[in-house]
Amino acid sequence: MSSIIKIPFGPQHPALKEPENFMFKVDGEYVVDVTPRIGYAHRGIEKALEDRTYIQDLYLIERICGICSHAHTTCYTQAVEEALKVDVPPRAKYIRTIVTELERIHNHYFWLGIVAHEIGFETLFMYTWRDREIVMDLLELLSGNRVQYAMNMIGGVRRDITPEISSKIMKGVKVLGERMKYYKKICSDDKTILARSVNVGILKTKDAISLCAVGPTLRASNVKRDVRADDPYAAYDEIPFHVVTYDGCDVASRIATRCDEVIESVEIIRYALEHLPTGSIEVIVSRVVPPAEIISRVEAPRGENLHYLRSNGTDKPSRYKVRSPTLANLTALCKMLIGGYIADIPIVIAGIDPCFCCMDRLTFVDINNDETWGWEGEKLRRYGIKWYKKQ
Amino acid sequence: MVQEAIISLLQIVIFPGFLFLILAAFFYEWVDRKFVARLQNRYGPLHTGPRGLLQPFADFLKLLSKEDIIPYAADKLLFSAVPIFLLSLPLTALFCIPIINSTALISFEGDLILVIFITTIIVISVFIGAWSSTNRFSTVGGMRACLQMLGYEIPMTIAMAGPAIVAKTLSISKIVQWQTTGLWFILTQPLGFIIVTICFLAELQKIPFDIPKAETEVVAGWLTEFSGKKLALLRLAEDLELVLAGSIMASLYLGGPAGFSFMPPFVWFIIKLTVCILILSNLRALFARFRIDQLMRGVWKYLTPLALLQIILVELIPW
Amino acid sequence: MNSLSKDYQDIIERLKKEIGSENLIGYEIPRPRRIWFSVRKEKLVDAITHLVGKGFVHLSTITGLEDENGLEVIYHLNRKGLEASLKVEVPVKQPVLPTITPIIPGAILYEREVHELLGVVFSGHPNLSLLILPEDWPKGVYPLRKKWTHKEIKKKLSRRT
Repeated sequence: MSSIIKIPFGPQHPALKEPENFMFKVDGEYVVDVTPRIGYAHRGIEKALEDRTYIQDLYLIERICGICSHAHTTCYTQAVEEALKVDVPPRAKYIRTIVTELERIHNHYFWLGIVAHEIGFETLFMYTWRDREIVMDLLELLSGNRVQYAMNMIGGVRRDITPEISSKIMKGVKVLGERMKYYKKICSDDKTILARSVNVGILKTKDAISLCAVGPTLRASNVKRDVRADDPYAAYDEIPFHVVTYDGCDVASRIATRCDEVIESVEIIRYALEHLPTGSIEVIVSRVVPPAEIISRVEAPRGENLHYLRSNGTDKPSRYKVRSPTLANLTALCKMLIGGYIADIPIVIAGIDPCFCCMDRLTFVDINNDETWGWEGEKLRRYGIKWYKKQ
Repeated sequence: MVQEAIISLLQIVIFPGFLFLILAAFFYEWVDRKFVARLQNRYGPLHTGPRGLLQPFADFLKLLSKEDIIPYAADKLLFSAVPIFLLSLPLTALFCIPIINSTALISFEGDLILVIFITTIIVISVFIGAWSSTNRFSTVGGMRACLQMLGYEIPMTIAMAGPAIVAKTLSISKIVQWQTTGLWFILTQPLGFIIVTICFLAELQKIPFDIPKAETEVVAGWLTEFSGKKLALLRLAEDLELVLAGSIMASLYLGGPAGFSFMPPFVWFIIKLTVCILILSNLRALFARFRIDQLMRGVWKYLTPLALLQIILVELIPW
Repeated sequence: MNSLSKDYQDIIERLKKEIGSENLIGYEIPRPRRIWFSVRKEKLVDAITHLVGKGFVHLSTITGLEDENGLEVIYHLNRKGLEASLKVEVPVKQPVLPTITPIIPGAILYEREVHELLGVVFSGHPNLSLLILPEDWPKGVYPLRKKWTHKEIKKKLSRRT
């Protein structure tokens, strides 16, 4: 006799670093159906953006996500610059590219550690996170910050790259590239990793396209689509690089794709540093943006990032929409999970590199200009007790 | 008469009895943590005591002082009894292991069977603990622990029969005594040693077989609901299990306290025990976690036939 | 650039032929790799089917917004680097649009998002339950509509608890 049991996964769960809920229907050890419920980290950023000036919005956009903060601000500044019809100096474009790629390296190292943790390979987790310190140090050297780099301004970047910093970055990324080659070898050789990743979380090419997956998840399903190559922004039209694809359609391919992307990023950074144009790094821009409708796309470490801006001739946007890669991959994720084992849930979820706080930004309440009102702890606690009694 | 009684009492309570075993448990937890940490390029325990030596003890004390929560829906009696079971079982088994000389505190014909039986009862207690706490994650963890036991127990028992067959005894002490005259069994039965090592990794629920406690899948597995004093006792029990596993390996395959006469037998035992525990820790740092179905398949497909092969080899080859 | 714009003109002409020139309200090519269409909502499904058939298989997202003229829903379709955005105006009185999930299964969450935050109903959508907002969110409060300012939402929520 088979019976279907419902298992909740999250919002609080050690495999998820952020709060999100997946309701699984399982039959024995197999997953039959899954329903995602997002919104636990919903901060109402989209609504809040409409109440703030473009300068203030820049800071808010930076805080959509902790890991890909630079990708979001690049997308935002590009949109606003296009609306203002401003051309950013080439040097600023190159610096943006360098930070974007450093961020990608950081993200992929971070992700590899998480994947190792999900399959219980603690040693690989410790090693990758140790090496991640190198790239964080480089970013700190460059921007002054380890996570929220705040490098972008509307009309350019905030800090310049001096020759000393440049040589330090060169040295750092060399180490990072070599280490990643070593990790890639481990991930393609080690029996236990292969046992947990090959043929796990299958997303066929056809499904990947029809479910609109993005980023490394899509490229691991053998679709050559990368915003950097297709719709070049910053300095990507001048820098040669390969778009990495794998045709395994499983978690092992996703690991390999990201490993190769790091190696590719190292080359991009080297090229950009060697060909860094001279000149200023910023232009002065007006605070008022003429009416326009702009779509800006950026290849964030996790995939395509799309921002939509509608300005109305004031210093505040009329509508600003953010679509982060995780939301795009969520439907594809559900497809991957169905038919798999319960024990594979964490690794499959981690496989798309989810960032739930990116995904959950949209609209809501907590943000208010003049007073903080949100729910204080006590009120929230009472509400929680009441809610659960009803259940 | 009185003197003998006092000595045997001291032996049971202090050395090599309770006090020594518990101290050894704390020490080997430190060895385990520190060694794995160094392999993983971390520092491990650092601040409490010299090189963090007292950290496991400090953790124990800290947990003792923490709030002890019993879930509302739990079976309170069983839930409270399980930590005590789990603490006393490995201690009992350890009394059957010869430590200071070639005769253990408790030694009788058939104590090997008792020790194997106790390792099974430990898993059953784990299951009872998981079941009585009524947590979903605990239940899944407990089920997994039992399922895992069904896999590893049979090859482990078969492999352990190897030394017993050769020494023609079912007493651990006599197996150890046999090895003082003959060869160590690791030399004649290396396959059995490897099988027992792998099975103990599963028994101790260490990576790559920490499936019942897989943090990212089932939180803390069967341990999820335990807190405060109970968790402290359970952690101590786990350390004792580690010592037990190392001692069984050292006794059955490395000759227990036997060694050259320039050092007392007890020191030889400690050295061998440390080696065995380092083997168990070292393996932990090398692998990722298997899935339960992969473990079962591997155990039934490879380990059990290999264990049988070892027994056949023992029968065929005279030593 | 010239051949590119010819290519874009071709896409526009074909779409015009497919749905009829009276249903294509307007179009615009602001810069390379961007095309904006504006279509009548009756012809939305036809237009998207046509574009998907022409290789615009990737739906980046669906943006919903409210301005002076009412609600507007924008479908961001994508073929390699070429981004085609399809605008549809929706009356505030009766905000109903046909779902496009049979054509693009990936639209399922985006439609739910627009439904939740702007109150546009997608007829034929398999499941329009709450995705982002809390379970007990008051009915009829659509946070992204201009009417629901922070103050209004706050008032509504505080009355509830």
